[in-house]
Amino acid sequence: MINVALVGCGKIADDHASQLQRVPHCQIVGVCDDELLMARQLYERFPVSRYFCDLETMLRATCPDVVHVTTPPQSHFAIAKQCLESNCHVYVEKPFTLSATEARRLVALASGKGLKITVGHNEQFSHVGRRMRALVNSGFLGGPPLHMESYYCYELGGNEYSAALLGDKRHWVRRLPGKLLHNIISHGVARIAEFLISESPTVIAHGFTSPYLQSMGETEIIDELRVMISEEQRTTAYFTFSSQMRPALHQLRLYGPKNGLVLDQDNETLIRLRGARRVSYVEKLVPPLAFSAQYVANVTGNARRFLASDFHMKSGLKYLIESFYRAITNDGPVPIPYREIILTASLMEAIFSQLGAQGCSLTETPNKRGQGVCSRT
Amino acid sequence: MAQTDNFIINREDPILVTGAAGFIGPRVVQSLLRHGFRNVRCLTRSPRSTQRLSAAVAGYGEQGCLEILSGNLLSSEDCAAATANIAVIYHLAAGAGEKSVPAAFLNSVVTTRNLLDAALKQNGVVRFVNVSSLAVYDNAKKRKGVLDETCPIDLQPERFGDAYEFAKVKQDKIVSEYAEKFNIPIVTVRPGFVYGPGRSAISGRVGIGTFGLFLHLGGPNEIPLTFVDNCAEAIVLAGLKPGIEGEVFNVIDDDLPSSRNLLRLYKRNVKRFRSLYLPHALSYLLCTMWEWYSAYSDRQLPPAFSRKKWYRYWKKTRYSNKKVKTQLDWAPHVLTGEGLARYFESCRSAR
Repeated sequence: MINVALVGCGKIADDHASQLQRVPHCQIVGVCDDELLMARQLYERFPVSRYFCDLETMLRATCPDVVHVTTPPQSHFAIAKQCLESNCHVYVEKPFTLSATEARRLVALASGKGLKITVGHNEQFSHVGRRMRALVNSGFLGGPPLHMESYYCYELGGNEYSAALLGDKRHWVRRLPGKLLHNIISHGVARIAEFLISESPTVIAHGFTSPYLQSMGETEIIDELRVMISEEQRTTAYFTFSSQMRPALHQLRLYGPKNGLVLDQDNETLIRLRGARRVSYVEKLVPPLAFSAQYVANVTGNARRFLASDFHMKSGLKYLIESFYRAITNDGPVPIPYREIILTASLMEAIFSQLGAQGCSLTETPNKRGQGVCSRT
Repeated sequence: MAQTDNFIINREDPILVTGAAGFIGPRVVQSLLRHGFRNVRCLTRSPRSTQRLSAAVAGYGEQGCLEILSGNLLSSEDCAAATANIAVIYHLAAGAGEKSVPAAFLNSVVTTRNLLDAALKQNGVVRFVNVSSLAVYDNAKKRKGVLDETCPIDLQPERFGDAYEFAKVKQDKIVSEYAEKFNIPIVTVRPGFVYGPGRSAISGRVGIGTFGLFLHLGGPNEIPLTFVDNCAEAIVLAGLKPGIEGEVFNVIDDDLPSSRNLLRLYKRNVKRFRSLYLPHALSYLLCTMWEWYSAYSDRQLPPAFSRKKWYRYWKKTRYSNKKVKTQLDWAPHVLTGEGLARYFESCRSAR
């Protein structure tokens, strides 16, 4: 039995508590939040043994094996460090840390103490994400990806998150080095990082405040971002974040030397792109039919999983938690390699530093790699 | 108009209205100004969202009697600033529209606790009006009864209750705890579905629009409407009338339309759309099956429909406004026919 504790009892903690109920051989021994009322509401709604408003007290009283850190990102490093120092394995929600330096320090601390740590890039472990990984590992692309395109969009509009963020100049998201981008883009950036080899790819970032936000008098938040990533003339990638483009895609496109793949997270579809061309008019007639067949196969697969009650919206989170716990129990490899966690943090840091250096009121750290482009128009 | 000579404060005494820029808040401020109160502090979350408030008070010239304060009730400093020297607090701010329980809880319960703490430190607060909701009542046990202030509160809002209901039950609980523990003079107001210009949604008690088809679930049920101006007047009186500390008032207008009638009028006056009536037995069965499947599939489908929800929203229920009328001398001055006409006109112009 794995004893689990949660730190931070907000919205994302609900997802963790829900999925933990579905994970066998674990129990939530404690939940903790600075605001005791928040800890109590989680305790009242889920099978949780105790609730606390002080992390040290909870760690001493409940002795958890694993702590899930679901607080705002500003506190991730300090809380994860404290948990590791208390000999707990740690699951940190995304974004892992505020900087690559903090990410390296946490990984080093965990490794030094023989503990495991992971980050909440759960979307990489959805059904479709796992299918894509299996195909890539089977050599479908014909080699490592030559080019990738990752779209990770977010509809800023009438939802409560947008209202809270846009209406409150002191909102915690505004205090992140990368502000809105920092809280959202790590899923999309991590998808690229998974297939990069270099530790310091070149990053060129271009960001601006959309006319939509400008019309609302917003000047701080950058909600349009385009990034080009390149590693030593081997693999290149484009990353797109947009609050305004429709559809608001969550896609990864992988192009190898032989074939390509298109993963659509929203539709949970995976489409194979055949590299070899057909002759003459056959190229105009057969591929659309083949695509139709692939979509039908995706539909039937999704329907089959739904009927088997294995198609939860947060299936990736459950899979990631289970994989992480398995790594702890068997002392096996962690589901997300540490290199990938650090590289994701490095890429994000490079993006934000470029935007900041270009006057986008983000972080003030100058970037040493690549040339950033930023505009507000 | 209520008798203005029998209020617990003078017209110069400072009054705080939280959620002043929301749907009901501007009407509460307007009503206070109409009663002649000249020292009203309006707390809004964002300085950008005060258009509705400005429009509501536009006809009352004396801008000096209004103070608009921007702040967040999650900040104890903002709560202290908002409650400084205040005599009566109208607490309307809430996490309405929040879909996640923690967000609704944070913006309803934690904020209310912060405000109560700040009010306690003031020592001069003579009335705290807690604006709640009819959604807090457990309607399962009164099969043919009337829903009034004596009905039991839901003791397990975490079981299939939605985020707003959970937060409102917990908000009322913490308010009661403070009243008991610190002797804060609290009055709770529980409005029905507040409608009027500025809100275009049709009450969920009528039905649910989903998958391109509106499922009509209310049928012959009365819909507990209260026009926004009527509701605001009741809230204002709850903060001014003497001798009602600790009381709860449900606010519902007279001449309530049936769900079927309201839907027909909405279609005729606002927009046409397809709807399918599900008789009560069928909607109950649907809710039961949904609840079962949600549990069976480990919440692959969230429990959006449940028997508890059916009892709360779609069980045939009658509503009483006797207490609010007798103890607050309140009457719904905007009649339902006129209120609906203004509501429909606003819905049409919003399209």
